[in-house]
Amino acid sequence: MNTKLKVTEISKIYPGCIANDKVSLEFGSGKIYALLGENGAGKSTLVKILSGVVKPDEGEVFLNDESIKLNSPLDAKKNNIGMVFQHFNLFETLSVFENLSIDNDKKDEDLRVLVNDILKKYNFKIDLDIPVLNLSAGQKQKVEIIRCLIRNPKVLIMDEPTSVLTERETDDLFISLKQFSKDGILIIYITHKLKEVLSLCDEVAVMRKGKVVSVSSTIDEKIESLANKMVGENLNTIKKKINNFKNSEQILQISNLNFKSDDPYETNLNDLNLSLKKGECLGIAGISGNGQNELFQILSGEIITKGTSIMFRNKEIGKLNPRERREYLMAFSPEDRISQAAVPELKIYENVALNNFKSSNFFEKGLVNEKKIKEHSKKILSNFSVNTNNVELKSQFLSGGNLQKLIIGRELITSPELLVCFNPTWGLDVGAINYIHETLIQINEQGKSSILISTDNDELLKLSDRICVIYKGKLSKIMNADTVTAEKLGILMGGGSID
Amino acid sequence: MSFDLNFIGILIGAIMASSVPLILAASGELITERSGVLNLGVEGMMIIGAISGFALMVVTDNLFFAVVGSMLSGLIISLIFGLLTQSLLTNHVATGLALTIFGIGMSAMIGKNFVGIPGKEFPLLFVNLKESIPFLGPIFFGHSIILYFAFGLPFLTNYFLKKTKTGLIIRAVGDSPTSASNQGINVTLVRYSCILYGGAMCGLAGAYLSLIYTPQWIENMTGGRGWIALALVVFATWSPIKVLIGALIFGGITILQLHMQAVGLRIPVQLLSALPYIMTIIVLVVISRDSRKIKLNTPTSLGQIFYKEK
Repeated sequence: MNTKLKVTEISKIYPGCIANDKVSLEFGSGKIYALLGENGAGKSTLVKILSGVVKPDEGEVFLNDESIKLNSPLDAKKNNIGMVFQHFNLFETLSVFENLSIDNDKKDEDLRVLVNDILKKYNFKIDLDIPVLNLSAGQKQKVEIIRCLIRNPKVLIMDEPTSVLTERETDDLFISLKQFSKDGILIIYITHKLKEVLSLCDEVAVMRKGKVVSVSSTIDEKIESLANKMVGENLNTIKKKINNFKNSEQILQISNLNFKSDDPYETNLNDLNLSLKKGECLGIAGISGNGQNELFQILSGEIITKGTSIMFRNKEIGKLNPRERREYLMAFSPEDRISQAAVPELKIYENVALNNFKSSNFFEKGLVNEKKIKEHSKKILSNFSVNTNNVELKSQFLSGGNLQKLIIGRELITSPELLVCFNPTWGLDVGAINYIHETLIQINEQGKSSILISTDNDELLKLSDRICVIYKGKLSKIMNADTVTAEKLGILMGGGSID
Repeated sequence: MSFDLNFIGILIGAIMASSVPLILAASGELITERSGVLNLGVEGMMIIGAISGFALMVVTDNLFFAVVGSMLSGLIISLIFGLLTQSLLTNHVATGLALTIFGIGMSAMIGKNFVGIPGKEFPLLFVNLKESIPFLGPIFFGHSIILYFAFGLPFLTNYFLKKTKTGLIIRAVGDSPTSASNQGINVTLVRYSCILYGGAMCGLAGAYLSLIYTPQWIENMTGGRGWIALALVVFATWSPIKVLIGALIFGGITILQLHMQAVGLRIPVQLLSALPYIMTIIVLVVISRDSRKIKLNTPTSLGQIFYKEK
């Protein structure tokens, strides 16, 4: 049977942001539809509306030309709309079967037969009687899919399903989705990954800032064309001019850094030596877990190591804590935006105030100078094009890209001499990545230095003047970036040696 | 010899009786906590149950009304907790503590006129059998109906949580209220129900104290049993059967150390008095040391405020 799903003029406004702005789209069964957009473009809001989790302020949803009301998830279920959320809606401590039976009125025995049929038909291998917390991310997703399939869905919505999957699991998922589509289920696939759109989907709708900006067949599209539509401007490919710093002044010198940890999950660092010149970007590559975290924390002063010499602008700063190091014009952007760099429950300006030091004058005689902090925060928001001007907004409502812009902006607005950043573009969309990269290049051009610890080799090759690799707590030789290739990095990251 | 055996039987019967309030309150709180709600007001709800049960008994001269009334009053006071935490989204811990303080004060105020009034005899079942069968008689017979109910309750609770749909839904809400809500489960309703049930059971536990165990009203007569019940739930890792075991150990050692004090053993009284607490915790920690099971039984969302996306 053919299924047609249509949304007309859907709008949803949250305080400070228009999540969906008169969105109209049409879908028909037999095809896989991609809903493409950057983080915060409004894709997730639209699918939450389709699954009854969020109520739209305006607009209607039609299923087979009939207007349907989706006031709760139950309504979506009744209308055979199935939804697999990006963050799984599973009960970790319950068994797989309990998870499936909880919202099902069938008798347990009948349900088991049905589930086993589905497992067989789609070649899923899952033990129904173990708790969900013992499953891998890919298996958990299968449980979610089975939960939808039990209800004979007409529409299946997948929200960023591959963000937690390995490559192998992604391949499996695509095979299943194509099979579902053949079985007549209308599939709406939400993503910001361009390659997936082209390899899986038939049609693609691009959303930007809450609006649908383009609907087309994937045959007519290329990665570049989709990227430009998604970001709304022609993305210029960034290439950094590699400089020669022979005559520049040295700004940072670390000698004989050793770190031995009591925690078995941490990596020991052995005899690290590095130096950095003014205006230079030093890239540190490596597979995560090889000591990057520890190195970052030692640079930032979160870990103080005895006997290590860190000379920064001709001063010994090895014993200083992060705040004192900031006074000396160092700046830090940690890997984990949510738990290390910012407090999600705090408002934007409060997060800005956390980065205080004497010269910032945020606090006077122990009192908070709110006006000053807010002015300062507003400046950051506009200078670093964060997509809001509301400094009262809680930081948790910022998308990853905007939060990262805020964090980098908070660090850079005081014009530090050195910025240390750790995976600054992790999990961000193309537009935000581009922006962060441009910013990082800019600070080098202004004669400021940076250390970029990253697991993304493309990023390192794009931005660094010199590159080295960290492997099991040891640094490789530091090489000029123009002599380094991705292959060389790969060998060093795996513990091999070049030369 | 038969006398000694009979004495041990009587002792066991006494231990069982002393653990009843703990079993009732802890079983109720267990359901509440399994839905993800941490109600620290157990002590307060118990003492409100104790005074209202006793007061109703005095006023109506009817034990049935007294027992039902104590459960209702526990339920009503837990409704306050529900309104605050579920509808007004206040912090569970602070609200629960306030509830206890409120309960203790309120009961003392109501109880002023009931101090010194003698209680009424509560009917005991199978008294003949108790006296005619040595050893086993005093263990199994001659108890109030509430005791039999209390000893069945952990098993019922276990069955309810593990085998019934409603139990499954409660566990699901305690695991992840957001997921449950997205599955169309009315999280607030489930949590309200569990709070009210917990309140009723705490009320009954209080009534057992003031109507049966020590049939009179004494200010502050729960004497911290509510806190013990709370601790039992946690140390029993949210397993109803382990709550029963824990309550019996606590009751048992309480009674035994009293006897030891009476005999005049050369052990400091303070140490003896501390013994029930120490032993209960040790035993429960030992029998619940399987970390995988703890993880599966612990309500992940315990104490978290849930609000629905609109």
